[in-house]
Amino acid sequence: MASSVKYLRVPPNSASLAEARRRVFEFFKTACRSIPTIMEIYHLDDVVTPSQLRSIVASEIRKNAQVTSPKVIDMMLFKGTEELNLIVEHSKQRHHILGQYVLGREDSQDIGTKEQGSEFLKNFFRSNYF
Amino acid sequence: MGLGQLASRALLRSARLAASNPHHQFRRAIVTTPELHNSAESAAAEAHPEPDLPKRNPVAGARVHFPNPDDAIEVFVDGYPVKVPKGMTVLQACLMAGVDIPRFCYHDRLSIAGNCRMCLVEVEKSPKPVASCAMPALPGMKIKTATPLAKKAREGVMEFLLMNHPLDCPICDQGGECDLQDQSMAFGSDRGRFTETKRSVVDKNLGPLVKTVMTRCIQCTRCVRFASEIAGVQDLGVLGRGSGEEIGTYVERLMTSELSGNVIDICPVGALTSKPFAFKARNWELKGTESIDVTDAVGSNIRIDSRGPEVMRIVPRLNEDINEEWISDKTRFFYDGLKRQRLNDPMIRGADGRFKAVSWHDALAVVAEVIHKVKPEEIVGVAGKLSDAESMIALKDFLNRMGSENIWYEGNGPNPNADLRSGYIMNTSISGLEKADVFLLVGTQPRVEAAMVNARIRKTVIATNAKVGYVGPSADFNYDHEHLGTGPETLTELAEGRHPFYSALSNAKNPAIIVGAGIFGRKDKDAIFSVVDNIAKKINAVRPDWNGLNMLLLNAGQAAALDLGLVAESEKSIESAKFVYVMGADDENLDRVPDDAFVVYQGHHGDRSVYRANVILPASAFTEKEGTYANTEGCAQTTVPAVPTVGDSRDDWKIIRALSEVARVSLPYDNLSAIRSRIGTVAPNLLRVDEREPAAFSTSALRPEVKEKPDAAPFTTVVDNFYMTDSITRASKIMAQCSALLKK
Ligand code: SF4
Ligand code: FES
Repeated sequence: MASSVKYLRVPPNSASLAEARRRVFEFFKTACRSIPTIMEIYHLDDVVTPSQLRSIVASEIRKNAQVTSPKVIDMMLFKGTEELNLIVEHSKQRHHILGQYVLGREDSQDIGTKEQGSEFLKNFFRSNYF
Repeated sequence: MGLGQLASRALLRSARLAASNPHHQFRRAIVTTPELHNSAESAAAEAHPEPDLPKRNPVAGARVHFPNPDDAIEVFVDGYPVKVPKGMTVLQACLMAGVDIPRFCYHDRLSIAGNCRMCLVEVEKSPKPVASCAMPALPGMKIKTATPLAKKAREGVMEFLLMNHPLDCPICDQGGECDLQDQSMAFGSDRGRFTETKRSVVDKNLGPLVKTVMTRCIQCTRCVRFASEIAGVQDLGVLGRGSGEEIGTYVERLMTSELSGNVIDICPVGALTSKPFAFKARNWELKGTESIDVTDAVGSNIRIDSRGPEVMRIVPRLNEDINEEWISDKTRFFYDGLKRQRLNDPMIRGADGRFKAVSWHDALAVVAEVIHKVKPEEIVGVAGKLSDAESMIALKDFLNRMGSENIWYEGNGPNPNADLRSGYIMNTSISGLEKADVFLLVGTQPRVEAAMVNARIRKTVIATNAKVGYVGPSADFNYDHEHLGTGPETLTELAEGRHPFYSALSNAKNPAIIVGAGIFGRKDKDAIFSVVDNIAKKINAVRPDWNGLNMLLLNAGQAAALDLGLVAESEKSIESAKFVYVMGADDENLDRVPDDAFVVYQGHHGDRSVYRANVILPASAFTEKEGTYANTEGCAQTTVPAVPTVGDSRDDWKIIRALSEVARVSLPYDNLSAIRSRIGTVAPNLLRVDEREPAAFSTSALRPEVKEKPDAAPFTTVVDNFYMTDSITRASKIMAQCSALLKK
């Protein structure tokens, strides 16, 4: 269970961008592997599917796609690992997960139903206040 | 009177006493309010008895009206000369001179009782301090408000008042806005000498709205005077004498007035407080938003006090032209309806007949698809009672673009006369009613339809003995009136001059005819209006200097709907409609809608019409949006958002604007100012906010002749339950309790 990620510790710095990149993929895989656990401990079945969670993790990582410095990537990886640990250890509560990762990300979720229409309509679907 | 103001005045006085003190410059430096600076200078000026004293401003911008310039007299307040009309009291003269006298029993709008003695001031040559609220100002009077004698007198009065006042400020709802608290801080003694036991008084039951803690009462009798003078119910009174004096109802009886909530505001202490608000919040935690009321067509000015996302209470705001400083109980207490029965998600009715929450995206897509499948003449739109002008113009523009002309406002009846503004507003204006000397009420019970207009009529009747004639079903009035008849035949008699009341009408200088909007629903309304026009012509009610022909509307959005021309081509169209857009209309009879029609309900409450809806689009209530409403006298006012919207709801006009785009007939406005300029092209008067725009022409000369005679059917009661008239009030628990009492 959680043991797979529990004993991650700070690894030495990545020597090159390629190595940092490999580590990112490793991290992504670890995260994907813990998704079933996360679904279970936070009772997420009725709000989100594993594949959605996967794309949420992916989009979190892609947010920083422009970063090229291995040092910075290492730092962010460390933070990501820490976050993942907290989640897997149940140090968070359900609303943390929902609020941070599940709700309010319609943009990333229905990429298929991309909004056509004016600025007004886009704002309207987002909230009443604009 | 705010504590700050009082306390600063107390400070100021000490500063002035210390005028000879060389350190007073330093004292002046620590005060920052401009008012204080002003007086600090005046303190300096007082040292030289030169007449060119700096000008002081009247308290709260008070103004005097001199009915006759010869009657002006001059008095001196703390050495300042002020000119006041004859007959003003010393207290009023002091107000004009910029000195606010502490008081408990005196109230501008009530008769003078003079029983609390808090307003004592010293008058030169009088042996004792005088109660300024009851003493007329006399020419040349030299009034001193800050002498040691006056201060000592106030301190003594405070001590007596506090003798029997419980020390329960920490659990008192008035705490923080209590005159007694403020004034004992500012003028009271700094120690108590009282060691006996305090008296206690049995609490009285005044119904579900007013909570009483009678031990706190200081017997100022403001509430008693309010009940008998303004509300017109003789329920409250003073019982007993001396230390046994109590305020109460003579027999175990509730206060049956539609204005009873106002005693909460006028009670200077915490003896009468709001029952629904009891122990809910402290007043300093509340955020006040100045808005207007939408429960009737008066548009009373209110302040919405909210805490976080919740409306905690509603209190009146001063507007001399509309509600003075009172509001009706419905306005004050219906706010709990804003928390119940709210629609918070767009919903679609599934095949099983149950509603399922969906996203806005899907809901609008479904509606847009359906609206394109029906023929334009099968599209119908109904705007509800509480609709604001912005959403009504958006609805009209949208459905017009879809090719439909059938958009109307519920309760306006078939073919309302929307062409001439004078035909549906109160031409005399609410404050103008005070000048009338004879009233003719036709098919309207202002007491339930528009309580604040009724209060105005009552004020006029009491002040000038104006006569009131009433045509309609038997009703409860709180002033003298003559019940002339129940049906239109009485009107015909009046028009032909056969009725005994006709002489009163024709002899009147300023007759006011008030026709209820309930008449709109009658088939023979054109005939009735022409009879009324005839009466008006005969008694000369419409002249260049006086327009006494009035309509009294029922609902907040009604005047704006007529201004914007929300008039159906034919109301029958709803019986053959395939697509019905209901914008908060809960009193429209949707049974007439064919079974296969698609009904969209846009609104904030799950009220009557929701049961027939296929799609629900949740909208925001008037406390959550900015909207323009015109009241019955044609004065446009805007609401201001006080709390955030509930759930996933949106403002009404935004929903329609978004829907129009999804339906590929985009409306050309994206924000409030754009939609307002669109309103300006239809009804520019709606943009002149807080101003009453009188109608340009009078109707009687322009309305087409009507040949047929009115039916014999008597007028009916229009509002049978004062407390429950729209979706918000129907959702309110407090209003339900009041209605239960009403039925008893
Ligand atoms: S209940 Fe309030 S308003 Fe009435 S007499 Fe007592 S203190 Fe005055
Ligand atoms: S205010 Fe003058 S006696 Fe009460």
